[in-house]
Amino acid sequence: MALLTAIALIIFIVEAQIPAPVPIPGIKLGLANIITVYAMFRLGPKDTAAILLCRIFLGSVFSGQMTTFFYSLGGGLLAYLAMLALRRVLTEKQLWVCGAIAAVCHNIGQMAVAILIFRTFELIVYLPVLCLSGLVTGVFTGLCAQFLLGRLKH
Amino acid sequence: MIKTRTWIIILAAAALIAAAGTFFTLRPRGEAKLVEVVQDGTVLREIDLSSVTREYSFEVVWTDGGTNVVTVRPGAICVSAADCPDKVCVHHGWLTDQSAPIVCLPHRLVIRAKGDTSLDTVSQ
Repeated sequence: MALLTAIALIIFIVEAQIPAPVPIPGIKLGLANIITVYAMFRLGPKDTAAILLCRIFLGSVFSGQMTTFFYSLGGGLLAYLAMLALRRVLTEKQLWVCGAIAAVCHNIGQMAVAILIFRTFELIVYLPVLCLSGLVTGVFTGLCAQFLLGRLKH
Repeated sequence: MIKTRTWIIILAAAALIAAAGTFFTLRPRGEAKLVEVVQDGTVLREIDLSSVTREYSFEVVWTDGGTNVVTVRPGAICVSAADCPDKVCVHHGWLTDQSAPIVCLPHRLVIRAKGDTSLDTVSQ
């Protein structure tokens, strides 16, 4: 479990170094969630919560921005709740669905936190495009988690 | 259990809705006259772009020392320089309409255009 946390953290930090290709605030690949989705289906909710919280906390500490802590937390919380529900409904071949839905929930949660912090409702104009990218990247990260689960089961 | 085919339809529909939403929110609309420079929920400045006569710049400093340089010219405003990691605010370019605000997430800075309001705001 500690290993998974470390891996997720490293992925998170490395991904944070990649510059955003488009000028949309908050857009990213979310690759660290490969670990989150994998853990949810392999280890269960409690372990996943621990890994996620550790990664969010340490991630914001190492990136030097405490502001990102709140965005990640808000997004992560909503995504976690979604995964909790989807865990019952999805099969092991459908993790890509989990990735996509969790990503969209993450965007919504993150947007909610940002709107509260900025006290600017206008930020919401970015939500559709973020959800679109979330759906696409979420399918990708979910697929990765799916392959991981399949490979590591034996 | 929901069949995979059903999920594909659901997600494809969601993607279409998101794409349509993107088109409606991010296309240029409404002229930017009055803009607000807001940091951490506090309005730092209100600028009437239609009464700006020449280009000028000012710096905004966040509590962690991070800076954004805001440049104003007649009818437009932008972040011309910033020391945040992703520089999304700088890449946004000139804000000339009411569609999308300029955002700097790490510095909690947002520059947004208000609707058509005539206020006696003095531009500096």
